Amino acid sequence: MKAKSHINKVFLGPPLLVLAILALVPTIAAIVISFQNKELGRRGTSFVGFDNYISLFSDRRFSNAMKVSLQWEAITVIGTMVVAVLVAILLFETTRGRTRAILSTLLIIPVLLPRVTAAFVWKFMFNPLLGVINYPIKELTGKPIEFLSNIETALLSVAVVDIWQWGLFFAVILLKLLETLPKEPFEAARIDKARTWEIYAYVAIPMLAAPLISLTFVKMVESLRSFDLIYVMTRGGPGIVTETLDMYAFSQGFVESGRISYASAMAVLMLLTTIITFTVIFKWVRKWQNA
Amino acid sequence: MGAQMAKRITLGTIAARLALVCVVIFAVFPVIWTLLNSFKEVVDIVTPTPKLFFSPTLENFQYVFERPSVRLGLTNSGIVVFSSVVIGALFGIPAAYALAHMKSRMGEEIKFFVLSLRFLPPVAVAIPLMSIYLDLGLYDTRLSLTLTYVLLTLSTIIWLSIPAFERVPTNIEEAARLDGYGPYAVFFLVALPVAGPSLFGAIIFSFILVWNEFLIALMLTTSEAKTLPIVASEFTLLGRNVPWGILNASVIVLSIPPLIFLGVLSGFLNRMFKK
Amino acid sequence: MLKTSITTVGGLLMATSLTTAAYAQVCTEDLKILAQPRGSLTLLEDRVAEFEEISGVSFKIDFLNENDRRAKSRAEASTTGRYNVYYIDEANIALFAENEWIVPLREHFPDEYNFEDFDPSRITVGSYDGNVYFAPIQGGGDFLYYRKDLLEAAGITPPTTLEELKVAIAALHDPANNVYGFALRGGRGSGANVWRWMTYFRGFGGEWFDGDTPAFNSEAAIKATETYLELFEYSPPGTSTGSWTEVTEAFNSGQVALIVESSPLAGLTEDPTSSAVAGMVGYTVPPSPLTGGGYGHGLAIGARANPDEASRDCAGLFIGWATSQDQEMQRLEQGIFGDLNRQSVFASDEFSAKYSDNIATALEETADVTAVNFWPNADWPDLGDRWGIILEELIVGSRTDIPAALDELEEYANDLIARR
Repeated sequence: MKAKSHINKVFLGPPLLVLAILALVPTIAAIVISFQNKELGRRGTSFVGFDNYISLFSDRRFSNAMKVSLQWEAITVIGTMVVAVLVAILLFETTRGRTRAILSTLLIIPVLLPRVTAAFVWKFMFNPLLGVINYPIKELTGKPIEFLSNIETALLSVAVVDIWQWGLFFAVILLKLLETLPKEPFEAARIDKARTWEIYAYVAIPMLAAPLISLTFVKMVESLRSFDLIYVMTRGGPGIVTETLDMYAFSQGFVESGRISYASAMAVLMLLTTIITFTVIFKWVRKWQNA
Repeated sequence: MGAQMAKRITLGTIAARLALVCVVIFAVFPVIWTLLNSFKEVVDIVTPTPKLFFSPTLENFQYVFERPSVRLGLTNSGIVVFSSVVIGALFGIPAAYALAHMKSRMGEEIKFFVLSLRFLPPVAVAIPLMSIYLDLGLYDTRLSLTLTYVLLTLSTIIWLSIPAFERVPTNIEEAARLDGYGPYAVFFLVALPVAGPSLFGAIIFSFILVWNEFLIALMLTTSEAKTLPIVASEFTLLGRNVPWGILNASVIVLSIPPLIFLGVLSGFLNRMFKK
Repeated sequence: MLKTSITTVGGLLMATSLTTAAYAQVCTEDLKILAQPRGSLTLLEDRVAEFEEISGVSFKIDFLNENDRRAKSRAEASTTGRYNVYYIDEANIALFAENEWIVPLREHFPDEYNFEDFDPSRITVGSYDGNVYFAPIQGGGDFLYYRKDLLEAAGITPPTTLEELKVAIAALHDPANNVYGFALRGGRGSGANVWRWMTYFRGFGGEWFDGDTPAFNSEAAIKATETYLELFEYSPPGTSTGSWTEVTEAFNSGQVALIVESSPLAGLTEDPTSSAVAGMVGYTVPPSPLTGGGYGHGLAIGARANPDEASRDCAGLFIGWATSQDQEMQRLEQGIFGDLNRQSVFASDEFSAKYSDNIATALEETADVTAVNFWPNADWPDLGDRWGIILEELIVGSRTDIPAALDELEEYANDLIARR
């Protein structure tokens, strides 16, 4: 036993120390900077207390960014899960063996692509003049749809790319999970003359409730990383309808002005919100799954 | 059960097949289209009707590879990603082994701490680090970027390797112990080889994660340490003064490394979700 | 002696060998340049060997699009400052000079490249606080470009006032046949939508600041914004979030009847390989009361990357070579009209042979209405970009209240002054 605790110390000590330093140092620094008035290209920094936070609450773009971030979370999480479930069932019903294996491999291609690539690929396809998506639209209606510069469609169009990457990936995972389910309940339901959708809605999905909730949780966390897509596709535009919190923080810190402290205050608020929200959800999910 | 359903050819099954085809097109067409465009000359791209057949050119790739910025980006990405993944694996795999065997509440808390690192918004990490690295004179260096990426690789490798070690049958380890193997020998000679393939999957996963990473690199580099995603994004945002074929080629170059490991990851998923 | 024989091949060779001797020791390391893509700079990349010969070192240009070049060069210069040469423009010269991210150019610009040959208006744009900071790559004012064929068919004469312009636009607007009356930049940015909007704002008598007090929240600003939005009704798809690239492409592809844009468009329009309307376009001064947007972009010496006199001389040598008369003649030959800045080139036979009297006359006339429309201050990019976003919101329709929008900008301006 003594030897075992020794190996634990050797194996766990250094990595945890490294992680703690790498995570805590920036977190503490972010908090400290958020109480200053640090700006790129301006000399002299002093402490200003809660000034940055107070300005944030009267900043219309900040409240807009919170709204956009929430919309983004809702659209991409729900979209991903719906696509994942439907595509998984479709694959499970219509394919088997080798075909299924090949298709599964193809469906994980999008998620492996760098977000920058994915964003560019779709931006190019959405292009009103050259885009392959707009080609049939122009032929039919005579006018292209400006997917990325219309205030109604911009956020949804970017979300399509996220769902393209994650929805198909999760579909493959769900397919593997469906394969692990016992066959008896399916057969029993079929003998009772249940329709296909009823079998899934009342038998398969409830059996997979626990992993589905875990996947939803993973997607909620991953959806925070929307920056690459928005940066390449819209830059937060048109206007500010796709300006998420990370986009706005970036733009305040690096693009429009060099207000590092102001951006830091935003980052701290984001940090607190995500850590608290996700910790609560995680503990709740684990309790529910263990019960 | 899927097979039984497929035997009856009904309107429903035809519709399902059609839907399947649509899904596959949705999944791969964007990639194939970009690949085709990367071999096109501009005149074949700016056509009123999209062109499927054209005489391919390698000029776009030649241009991309000849740009000094692309070469620098490739070197930087290679060094930074390789180092951070190696460091992540060296520290992370032993940690995962220890955590897989800790059944205490402490173990659960540590696991949660490692997972919770993924909750950190990347901006919240990048902004303060930028300020710190500037003060230390480490800003825009491969060293500082590698260090920051270790946070990503280490936590990912730990998190994904725990299940791999948990699936190593306990009786094999027990038998080794009875044969007089010490705890380190059990790890190196028994657990590591058995969990090997899954661990490889975890490492590849972290490789892709940092190869594709964008926001942190964008904020922590300006010229010398720029990674390939940053260079590629600069290409794609140049506007139309640069031929479209070159833009398509630059994102293809960026995407090749992750796609090389498609097979490995597919196998990794199969192992992860097998009962 | 050298100067007189420079046009002969022999003299050129001699000059090259002499300068090699003179500058071989000046440069010790390859130069790094941060710029935005221009035909003239791509041309330089094809002639690296020539620069290697006179300096002993090579160079590498990192290209970013215009908006990103502005943002990134600011972030880069304020942190690491690793570029030897920065591409600077009229709008950020104050910022760069005030922060000493660049150094005065004149004493490092080699005499044989004859600085005085640059058009005086370009030198003025490249100066700040009594010092010249950049050597011009491009610059100029605005033209009203009109499609001669369309105006003739409709019996319309080229408009000389804003009212006439509005009438002509409405008459020629025919989207069903893929002809749009006008084209405007809608995309955000002090050098994008705000750049064009300012010509209305200043034309209506607007002022940015009265001393340190913001003065732009005025009738002129409201009228300018209303006019801009009104004219946007006639602008083609893709322009509401687009800028120079989108509007000029729309015009050159024949979709636009009239456009007020910067003078380099003339070169692109007359180039049959990039334009469907070559030979069909007339040029004149912007209709009154619009002012022309006077601008200039050029190359400046980075302060941090060139710590000593020798390295500054080396960067100066590069700038001299890159903006030389020889380079400009090459640009002229390749039809890169927008990147001409030297009086000797404008006066050359090659120039008059290549460009019709129409352009030459318009160039002269437009100089009279060309003005500095922006607020020449280190904080201008910050303020201009903020207005750019608000204006884009108005254009795409996600907000509609113009006075409220200007109030918001004024609050931002006050905050900006207070933080200084």
